[in-house]
Amino acid sequence: MAWKIFLFLLLSFVSVAGIAFPIVENPTHWYEFPLIKGLEQNAKIIFFHVPTAWLTVVAFLMSTIFSIRYLARKNLNDDAKSYAAAQLGIIFCILATITGAVWAKFAWGSYWSWDPRQTSIFALLLIYGAWFALRSSIESEEKRATLSAVYSIIAFLTVPFFIFIMPRIMKGLHPGSADDTNAGPIVNFKMNGNMQLIFFLSLTAFTILYFWMWNLGYKSLIFKDKINKIYTKG
Amino acid sequence: MESLYQFLQNNAIYIVMIIVLIVWTGIFFYLFNLDKRIKNVEKEFKNSKDWQ
Amino acid sequence: MNIKAFALFKKDFHSELRTRYAVNALIMFIIVAISVILFSIGNEKISQSLTGGLLWVVIFFSAMSGLSRAFVSEEERGTTMTLQLIASPSTVFSGKLLFNLILVFVMNIVIALLYSAMFDAFVIKNFLLFLVTFLLGNIGLAISSTIIAAIIAKAGSKGTLYPVLSFPILLPLILLLVHLTLNSLDGTSFDQSLFELAMVACYDVIMLSASYMLFDFVWKD
Repeated sequence: MAWKIFLFLLLSFVSVAGIAFPIVENPTHWYEFPLIKGLEQNAKIIFFHVPTAWLTVVAFLMSTIFSIRYLARKNLNDDAKSYAAAQLGIIFCILATITGAVWAKFAWGSYWSWDPRQTSIFALLLIYGAWFALRSSIESEEKRATLSAVYSIIAFLTVPFFIFIMPRIMKGLHPGSADDTNAGPIVNFKMNGNMQLIFFLSLTAFTILYFWMWNLGYKSLIFKDKINKIYTKG
Repeated sequence: MESLYQFLQNNAIYIVMIIVLIVWTGIFFYLFNLDKRIKNVEKEFKNSKDWQ
Repeated sequence: MNIKAFALFKKDFHSELRTRYAVNALIMFIIVAISVILFSIGNEKISQSLTGGLLWVVIFFSAMSGLSRAFVSEEERGTTMTLQLIASPSTVFSGKLLFNLILVFVMNIVIALLYSAMFDAFVIKNFLLFLVTFLLGNIGLAISSTIIAAIIAKAGSKGTLYPVLSFPILLPLILLLVHLTLNSLDGTSFDQSLFELAMVACYDVIMLSASYMLFDFVWKD
């Protein structure tokens, strides 16, 4: 109960701080952010773009973990948990792609330039889409759960390549790529103290929000199934 | 009317912030409501054990 | 186990030789695909990098058209259950994988030959690099396509679902192979491409082990 109110206040604070705090050359007050070269006024997107990208990977990881659990124990509740995670995952993936494209327009000039990291978030979107397409084409419950679990595991094997390896070895525009000398504002700590604080608060708030939504999601699925089974049994 | 337009133009970022807060409050209350209803369903399932 | 797998492969191979369903359709598809590209290009001269990329487009779609037969034909003829009875899952997978491997190699050699004949820009400067890329890449293509074929054989709408499921899985492989092909067209030395060749080999090994472990779950009813 209390943590939900805490989450509400936290995410409200993050929205206020992330959107309205001014970015000035030499920050003097606690509510001012420093100017980062190359980003300038657009830096505020970082508070929303990075958490969505982070959550889409977390959601995919959870979906795969519960898929593995389903294959081990054959408990359909695990399949419901995997499905709820994937639903949130695809939403956050779309949000990450859109926020990334908007940021790209300001920072690099065009919405899409097939930069390795943009390509990899798009590949993740394709994986999610394929997973849902596979699920909708199978009627039987156990078969659907088994086959989508197998596909989820195979697809997860390609994710480390997309998220960690490819963007770092190939040349690209996104921070952290092979020819990026300053390695981005997070790793190099170009953000000053209070900017880092807002950033980590944002990450925490979104993660708590995700777990809450996932909890509600899989419970709805399990109860909907149970109620359906009771009413059809007569 | 002109000054209203000027006012909105100068403080655009705060308008965005207010809209985001309104959207977030809406989402939060929806989730809170959903949470309450699911808790009720869970309680009903636990009480009438003949459904288990 | 290996003799049984080889026997399964021989059964598929002989049945293909007899009826030639798959091979004919596949050859026609390859010819159609290359012709469509030639028509769309018209008299324009295309750069070398574009030709290199288009090669893998043709290979990908030909694979999507031809490789699902290994499992879908069993479902269509109703022989899946017999197969489940007479052999363990890994034996069945080995047999089907062998069949798809041979099919992929034959298909890609045809595509590569037709391609170098039709496109002037496609001149390979570093032949050793292209050969190793071809070898490792085809193995990866066959492995991934076989396990995805096993998955969709049990689903509905098989034809359209197969490319949809395979593309994200094959994407890392295709990205690496396109880059390596462009290197071999440019004439980059073998040593410079060692890292990417190692990654293709990694992909092959990872996909092979994962497929064997997961095939059990797909195959059992």
